[in-house]
Amino acid sequence: MQTVTPAQIGSQLVTLMAALMLVVQLLLVVQRMLLASIRLFAIRSFFLAGIAGVIAFFHNATHVYLVAVLTLIGKVVFLPWLLNRQVRRIRITQEIEPMLNAPMAMLLCGSFTLLGYVVARPFTSLERLGNNTLAIAITLVLTGFFLMFNRRKAITQVLALLTVENGVMLAAVALTTYGMPLVVELGIFFDVMVAVMILGILVYRIRESFDSMDTSKLSQLKG
Amino acid sequence: MPLLTFILFAPAAVGLANLLLPRGRLMASLSVLTFGATLVLSIMLLEQVLRFGVITEWDGFLYADALSALMVLLISAVSLGSSLYAGRYFQRDLDDKAITPGRVREFFVLTPLFVAGMFLVVLANNLGVMWAAVEATALSSVLLVALYNRPTSLEAAWKYIMLGSLGLALALLGTVFVYAAACKSNPQPLPSFNWSHLMTVAHLFDPKLIQIAFVFALLGYGTKAGLAPMHTWLPDAHSEAPSPTSAMLSGVSLKIALYALLRFHILTTACLGSGFSRHLLLGFGLFSMLLAAPFILVQRNLKRMLAYSSLEHVGLICTGIALNTPVTIFGALLHMGYHALTKPVLFFAAGNIHQTCHTLELRLIGPGLVKVVPATVLLMALAGMAAIGLPPFGLFFSELTVISGGIAAGQIAVSVLVLAALILSFCGLLQQFTRILLGTPKQERKDPGTRFDGVPAMAFMLGTLLLFSIWLPESLRKIMHQAAGIIGGTR
Repeated sequence: MQTVTPAQIGSQLVTLMAALMLVVQLLLVVQRMLLASIRLFAIRSFFLAGIAGVIAFFHNATHVYLVAVLTLIGKVVFLPWLLNRQVRRIRITQEIEPMLNAPMAMLLCGSFTLLGYVVARPFTSLERLGNNTLAIAITLVLTGFFLMFNRRKAITQVLALLTVENGVMLAAVALTTYGMPLVVELGIFFDVMVAVMILGILVYRIRESFDSMDTSKLSQLKG
Repeated sequence: MPLLTFILFAPAAVGLANLLLPRGRLMASLSVLTFGATLVLSIMLLEQVLRFGVITEWDGFLYADALSALMVLLISAVSLGSSLYAGRYFQRDLDDKAITPGRVREFFVLTPLFVAGMFLVVLANNLGVMWAAVEATALSSVLLVALYNRPTSLEAAWKYIMLGSLGLALALLGTVFVYAAACKSNPQPLPSFNWSHLMTVAHLFDPKLIQIAFVFALLGYGTKAGLAPMHTWLPDAHSEAPSPTSAMLSGVSLKIALYALLRFHILTTACLGSGFSRHLLLGFGLFSMLLAAPFILVQRNLKRMLAYSSLEHVGLICTGIALNTPVTIFGALLHMGYHALTKPVLFFAAGNIHQTCHTLELRLIGPGLVKVVPATVLLMALAGMAAIGLPPFGLFFSELTVISGGIAAGQIAVSVLVLAALILSFCGLLQQFTRILLGTPKQERKDPGTRFDGVPAMAFMLGTLLLFSIWLPESLRKIMHQAAGIIGGTR
């Protein structure tokens, strides 16, 4: 029987979880319910935290454990809770009204995935752990952009922004040995937390003055 | 004395102190005092950098070279002017019941934090920390844009934070690619991500990675710097923010993003040794200039017009740097400084006009403003002359420096395009200003404020501009040449 080194197991685990992130992302694109979308975001962040945990375990890197824990607390527990509370507090209707219907969106995201693989191709030699993680990261960034334009509710746009951020963090893990230096990881973490809180304040104020969360109504300023 | 530490923490501490102070007047005076102090400190920093070349603190976490020192000076000067203006401005808004005391406190808490964020951008040695600081400036300024809580200002704030954050996510991706290049060239598991270290090993980096990193950084920081076609948030945010914030956004915030972009440009050029990043910068710079000019001509809102003028000036700075001769880079840096001193005066005047006329629509404001608020109009006309590039103001010299440098470098086509864009916006601004400032008023307007509202702040900025236009101190000239050397890669 062929022996499998720990590094290979780690690599396969990372690949598996990155693939799961992609699956969750595709579910998010076609999800029409707001609360379910937030839950999907939490699940996707959980896999990101898992990837960091696996890397920390197989490389004995203490600071990456910290990154995993921060991701777990911040993006799996705190941010979903914050967004959930926001949704309940302003009592918005549940359903998202996307510009493109689900099959179209799925088709587009399929092509984004292809594009992601094409773009990542020259850099695959750089991936330290796992396969195709960079391609998935780029796909996440692209679909995040797509979500931003496809959905008009302010909170779903916040989710789109978080999708892009997840993609970038995955790219950081894919391309470098242990992710970014700790001080940078901390900076990014606090920025994301504060950003979502400030966006929450803005969403609340927009809701108060427009009596709606539809950002396509924000169209008075032109030229 | 730990200069950099003081410069960084003084505004942050004051921002927190303003949470506790009882009255707006006190908060305003404390801000003025602090920014006055940071201005003195930044002049001291300038001297130190001239003497020692590079200053580091906290074990190399904070790093200041000539370029950083120059930016610190600009941030301090504009912050001082803005806080000088803000006290009276918000007092009048409070009297008019246009704003609540809570919101005024919000302004005096967030503005120093915004400034501290900008200081961190230019003083951080680590490129990742620099990114986090740029994001922090965006986050601290977005609630300032939404300060008046009008539907339009909420819209502007939403666009600003959404486009800004999307852009900055791309910039982070660019930053990650640079770090990946650093990891690849270095067998150590966690190589240093410090600027001072990166520059020494830049020639070892994978060119392909650095190229893609620069493209992402250009799209990302370019959005924040307001380069066309990613500029769409800029006129909204600059017109809807309260005037002291507009002045900060236009005067320094755009240049801070440009500074971050320049660091990537310097690194890319050092790695590739070719004009890859330069050509891209040139394209975006020229496009911004050419796009801004027609928008100035047809603009119907005073502050939006000023915002498009900022777009044009940022385009010129970019173009000057992209032409990449010592003369044009020097001209671009000169232009950066002069523009930072000019544009706030125009935004302050626009703030006064807004408070007197209760509108920013050019059609409803003018003509004949000179009869209503003579002091404001006089200063606005002078600053307007500076902004369109008339002597004796410095922008005339810096524009001429860039154009003549371009011609001397054989870039005739670029120079002609720059000249054409400048002439177009010259006509646009001149026509719009004369339309509202001169003539006889159509309707009776009384000026409810005192006649000299905001005049000290405007006179301070304009006086400094005039002084440095006529006489550029030797130390400042030296530091600019050094900074130009850093950008041009000769040092």
